[in-house]
Amino acid sequence: MGASLLEFHVLLALAGGALHGYAIAERVAAESGGTLVPRAGSLYRVIARLISDGLVAESEGEAEIPHPGLARRYYALTASGRRTLGEEARRLKQAAAAAEKRLGLARGRS
Amino acid sequence: MRTVLRFLVRLFPPSFRAHFGAAIVEHAALDCERDRSRGRLAALRSFLLTAFDIGRSALLERLRPSFAGIPVEKEGTAMRSSLNLDGWGAELRHALRTLRRTPGFTATVVGTLALAIGTIAAVFTVLDRVVISPLPYAHPERLVFVAAEAPGSEMTGEFGPAAEFYLQYKEASRRLEDVATYGTFTNSLRVGDRVERVRMAAVTNSLYSTLGAQPALGRLPVASDGDRVAVISDALWRSWFGADPSVLGRSYEMAGASRTIVGVMRPEFQFPNDGALLWVVIEVRAEGLQPGRFGYNVVGRMAPGTDREAVAAELTALARGLPQRFGGSPGYARLIERHRAVVRPLLDEMLGPAARSLWILFAAAAIVLLIACVNVANLFMVRVEARHRDLAVRRAIGASRAQLVRLQMAEALVAALLGGALAVCFAGLSLPVLLRAAPAGIPRLAEVSLSGRTLLFTLLAALLSGVLCGGAAAWRGASPNLARLREGGRGSTRRRRLGRDGLVAAQTAMALVLLIGAGLLMRSFLALRSVDPGYDTRDVFTFQFAPEQPALKDGPSWARFHLDFLARLAALPGVTSVGIVENVPLDEGTRGDRFRSEDMPEGPDSGRPLNWTFAAGDYFRTMAIGVLDGRPFETADHLSVHGNVVISRSAAQLLFPGQRAVGHRLQQQGQPAWHTVVGVVEDVMQYGFRDKPQALLYFPLVGPTPTSWSITTPAYVIKTARAEAIAPEVRTLIRQVAPEAPMYRAYTMAGLAARSMVALSFTLLTLGVVSALALFLGALGLYGVLSVVVAERTREIGVRMALGATAAAVRRMVVAQGARVVALGVAIGLLTAFVATRALSGLLYGVDAVDAPTFVAMASLMLMIGALAAYVPARRASRVDPCESLRSD
Repeated sequence: MGASLLEFHVLLALAGGALHGYAIAERVAAESGGTLVPRAGSLYRVIARLISDGLVAESEGEAEIPHPGLARRYYALTASGRRTLGEEARRLKQAAAAAEKRLGLARGRS
Repeated sequence: MRTVLRFLVRLFPPSFRAHFGAAIVEHAALDCERDRSRGRLAALRSFLLTAFDIGRSALLERLRPSFAGIPVEKEGTAMRSSLNLDGWGAELRHALRTLRRTPGFTATVVGTLALAIGTIAAVFTVLDRVVISPLPYAHPERLVFVAAEAPGSEMTGEFGPAAEFYLQYKEASRRLEDVATYGTFTNSLRVGDRVERVRMAAVTNSLYSTLGAQPALGRLPVASDGDRVAVISDALWRSWFGADPSVLGRSYEMAGASRTIVGVMRPEFQFPNDGALLWVVIEVRAEGLQPGRFGYNVVGRMAPGTDREAVAAELTALARGLPQRFGGSPGYARLIERHRAVVRPLLDEMLGPAARSLWILFAAAAIVLLIACVNVANLFMVRVEARHRDLAVRRAIGASRAQLVRLQMAEALVAALLGGALAVCFAGLSLPVLLRAAPAGIPRLAEVSLSGRTLLFTLLAALLSGVLCGGAAAWRGASPNLARLREGGRGSTRRRRLGRDGLVAAQTAMALVLLIGAGLLMRSFLALRSVDPGYDTRDVFTFQFAPEQPALKDGPSWARFHLDFLARLAALPGVTSVGIVENVPLDEGTRGDRFRSEDMPEGPDSGRPLNWTFAAGDYFRTMAIGVLDGRPFETADHLSVHGNVVISRSAAQLLFPGQRAVGHRLQQQGQPAWHTVVGVVEDVMQYGFRDKPQALLYFPLVGPTPTSWSITTPAYVIKTARAEAIAPEVRTLIRQVAPEAPMYRAYTMAGLAARSMVALSFTLLTLGVVSALALFLGALGLYGVLSVVVAERTREIGVRMALGATAAAVRRMVVAQGARVVALGVAIGLLTAFVATRALSGLLYGVDAVDAPTFVAMASLMLMIGALAAYVPARRASRVDPCESLRSD
């Protein structure tokens, strides 16, 4: 079983470097074309799960986009997180290809 | 707003909260600020969605924790399975869309659930605070209340142990870690010019160690203090002393002696209930102790690992040695042989019948919620049928069963959660009403308010309701009959009808059980109202006051004072008669002692245990207590020593069996004086209308010698049509004769009578409201199901009518179908009630828990309502136009 869509997007958001929670949410919204707008509760559960699984770690270091007025806690991909993101992207690509093929057939039949 | 967010975040498990709580609040607050620019409505919607999301996430986090702490090992962990609600997103959005498209359906479902969930949430809030949440002491489950019983002795029922029991327990028990004894009473507290009669408790110093209570300020009393210290309650500290910490070490007059305040207790220390404002010290010593003075309250803390049976066995065995150690009469020794210790949880003792009432109410609310769920489940079932084609198509093109189940469940869950959110508002509104109707004396009732636990409970109740409501429909919808795609999706299957009929029968049964319960309580209430307690509570006002004047020093001076004041009261306009009694029924208890007639031998165990009090003025006429023989007291009886006594009917029978009591003499044990019976009056029920009438002796205000007794603060009773309004005039009169004395314990007797029945009337009222709700929802359910059946069978009915069936025959057919289901439900309900009404037995009076007339009446009512609910759809069926119905496809 692969990662949920939101997990995938959070990993994706962090691929460019460490971010804090609010920036993750903004980037997920942008990168999913507005289909995923995670709210605080759900977002931090996903972050918690990724941390527990060792895919994401908290980082104290400099972040690329500082945000005023937020608790300064940044999150970054671990090596294992980066690997999982890669695998996940490949899996999605295959799934998408399979879906297109199937849908194409279905169209042909009707 | 942040407060609300922070509050919601508290729903998360602590470890998660510690790590992410602040970030979530910050994040959500920022979200809301951003949305504020988009208009008020959008901001509100966004806030609600965020709040809902936090609540949902918190619950999920509790159910399936995603946060296991920060791992040390960072390599090589695979991504966890993601079978979680995030995967439900599409279904939830779909559900919201469908619900929005059918506002009528949504309003019905959400409204029904909100009403039922709100009811149970309000009851839960009270139950949680009062019954479930433990006492505010360490290890409350180990605290026990110790009483005594001695079957076959002259002490009937349960009674409080005597002081020597406490000493024996304290010194010798191994299974009780600590033990204390206490009593409550009303006495004067004087602080400067302010004097009032307040509730106090006299407790052994071991009470604090037994309960594990600590003062908020100062210290607890210790043995070297003697009995001239006291600790005061937080309430008294705030109301009388303005929360001034310098009160410690000051001395005030309390209960007739000057005592030094050494400590202020915490607000939650309310022992034995919130009425007690201060605690003075009683010392129990073995020296000079007279055994056999029963009536003490004993509380103990069990040692870890022991249970109540073992404690009771040990205490019973310990009591056997009491006559040897303390002496006492042969009668005392005989009683001890029969004595058994009774050990109960302290919480039970403190709550009394309130706990049972609340549990009954909770059960009733749960039943209403079930009925509501059944109704909503039925509505969803109907919807699934209507959507059958849609589902069949989805299944045919490859949707999995799980997806179809999720589709159905998501809708029910969303509806239930919306209902839950409304329910919180409803509970917040109905809670004050519930609290106002609640009986006085329930501990900690004042602390009841909506709490985080209420919210969590409501959320769980909503989720559970969602599963219950959606479950049946989801199960039906998950396996659509693909064959019906071909046939055009008409007709009704037998299996489907059976399921719906079963649900209606079940809710009929549940509503009937509640109705029968309410009916039994109603009959008890009426029976209690028509009890003749031996006196008339109508148009009587009662009060007390405590004059303190140097001239009032002995029996005759007090008697003259009271008689003079009686004359002043009698002169008030509209007053029919006035009187005095030391212990007014329904408010205070009388004391007991042994009395003998001249025919009975002298000795410690001879004579009869009887209750006694004092009366003067027109007491018997004011209270309409019948004078059966002889005469009531005259003014002369109170002014000098005559040695007269008035006794009640049972007392006469006990002391002078088979003889005319008037003219005979009686003597109190241990007293030299004899008293001559001048009158016999009717027995009265002293404590309440469920009691047995009491055998009672009435003594005059003056005893055998001027100092035998002084009646200082009796209860005055005034018969007047203006009983509700006369208090200010009485207060003015008191100010004239005794400006130093406050008026207290001022009630109408009718008010006292209502108070004595409040446990019953509270349960009756609330159960009545709840069962009316159940009846309404049940009828609605039946109506809904039959309406759908009629709609489904329109074609069939049309055919029947085309073939010559009359409108009456069609109506009969539909009503009969409804009646069959209701009859089945009534049968099940009667059987269930037969067992379930036993839970009410402690509240019932003069009616059996399986009272046949109540059962029959309520079953008939249910059948009638059922027929009514069936008749409306039946009428609609009979108006089917055959041509229309056949043309419809």
